[in-house]
Amino acid sequence: MDAVTYPDAEVIGFIGENLIPLRVQFDAQPLSSDFNVKWTPTLVTLDSYGTEHHRTVGFLSPEELIPSLLLGIAKTYFEADRFDEALQNFEKLLAEHPKSDSAPEAIYLQGVCRYKSTHDAKPLKQAYEKLSAEYPSSEWTRRAYPYRLL
Amino acid sequence: MENKINWETEMDRALAQARAENKLVLLDFFNPG
Repeated sequence: MDAVTYPDAEVIGFIGENLIPLRVQFDAQPLSSDFNVKWTPTLVTLDSYGTEHHRTVGFLSPEELIPSLLLGIAKTYFEADRFDEALQNFEKLLAEHPKSDSAPEAIYLQGVCRYKSTHDAKPLKQAYEKLSAEYPSSEWTRRAYPYRLL
Repeated sequence: MENKINWETEMDRALAQARAENKLVLLDFFNPG
């Protein structure tokens, strides 16, 4: 991460604009135990009260880190029932990083978010259809499989 | 624009800054090697 991803200008700009970056050694206590850290790098998205909403383990290239961080931001808002802000970040991720590894989960959660904010089931089926068309081998396509019947 | 990431090193300060700036926190557990 230090050699490739963190020196990247887009990564520096994205983090500076959107997040407070906090770095601690993997064995620093009590945080290491509190977050059950077993390998590095472990990246965790927290809300401003310290609650975890997204985690990745292992190296991420600049092209994968930014969408992963967008997914973390969107999931944080989603889990706070702040659906408009969640959707803005899911949409940004999918518009700017449609081929990223984070995209299928974003499509799935975008459908869930739209369903929860409208109580209309159509977005769930649309999420499955988009996933099956564009990411047929994704685990998120399999998780959305029941929604084909809606 | 900054030319490097300005990492905070204390959780309490990071959370206070996040609340003040209405942002989230990226927590990186790293191995300094």
